Amino acid sequence: MPRIVREAEIAWEGTVSRGSGVVTAASSGAFELPVTIASRVGDPEGKTSPEELLAAAHATCFVTSLGSELARAGTPPERLTVRCVITMDEVEGVGHRVIASAISASGVAPGADAAGFAQAAEAADAGCPFSALLKASATVTVDARLEEVVA
Amino acid sequence: MTTRTANVTWSGSLLEGAGRIEDVGSGAFGPLDVTWTSRTEEPGGRTSPEELIAAAHASCFSMALSHGLAQAGSPPERLETSATVTFVPGTGITAIALTVRGSVPGLDEDGFREAAEAAKVGCPVSKALASVPEITLDAGLL
Repeated sequence: MPRIVREAEIAWEGTVSRGSGVVTAASSGAFELPVTIASRVGDPEGKTSPEELLAAAHATCFVTSLGSELARAGTPPERLTVRCVITMDEVEGVGHRVIASAISASGVAPGADAAGFAQAAEAADAGCPFSALLKASATVTVDARLEEVVA
Repeated sequence: MTTRTANVTWSGSLLEGAGRIEDVGSGAFGPLDVTWTSRTEEPGGRTSPEELIAAAHASCFSMALSHGLAQAGSPPERLETSATVTFVPGTGITAIALTVRGSVPGLDEDGFREAAEAAKVGCPVSKALASVPEITLDAGLL
């Protein structure tokens, strides 16, 4: 299989408490975003953080896995929505740790029933490479809900 | 305790469909389009989970290094960090390469490398990604 390489850069000025950085999507150019420590651990005030970027990565990775699993089961989705909440906490003696990633997935998949959708979500969790990585050190939970289509 | 949220949607099949990072809790970015083709071939201006992981890791590492240097009495003037994530479909994320160049008054190369090594081990994103088979660090002064 091909190796896919993606790169991001950050330039940081000053100390961690008073300084700030700008993180850039170097491969795609899709974003250029300011980050500070205060907005990372306190009120975001419109700024992203490493944990928010992880949430976006996990949600995106999961949604593609779920779409693949539903298609494999013969019930390709029309539309999927995935929300990811990453929690970081201070752990005694270890410092700040990412302790949890909570995925909530819902969608419309003609032909799938609730059990089939839940099964695809479980398989997506097993298959998403980022879920596998996070599970080594954090709790990953998946809540899946098939949307009823009103005729 | 800190929580951060992202919302993503997908329409259609994996290969022909398209996804979108609709919004994030901070409001800092989105919507950003994502597709399987732009994830695995040329990005064409679109981000991907791997690029977002690279951004998370580079920014977390830089904050940890800045903090460590300041704690040791030699706060940095400037740090330039890049993170490169390698993804092999079917296998997963196989490697992350961190490169950092710093301007740190009063610190020599060895001291900088030592602080960078500590940041690589200690930053929360490094810990979350500790099961990546290979995480490398190239550190030096500007």
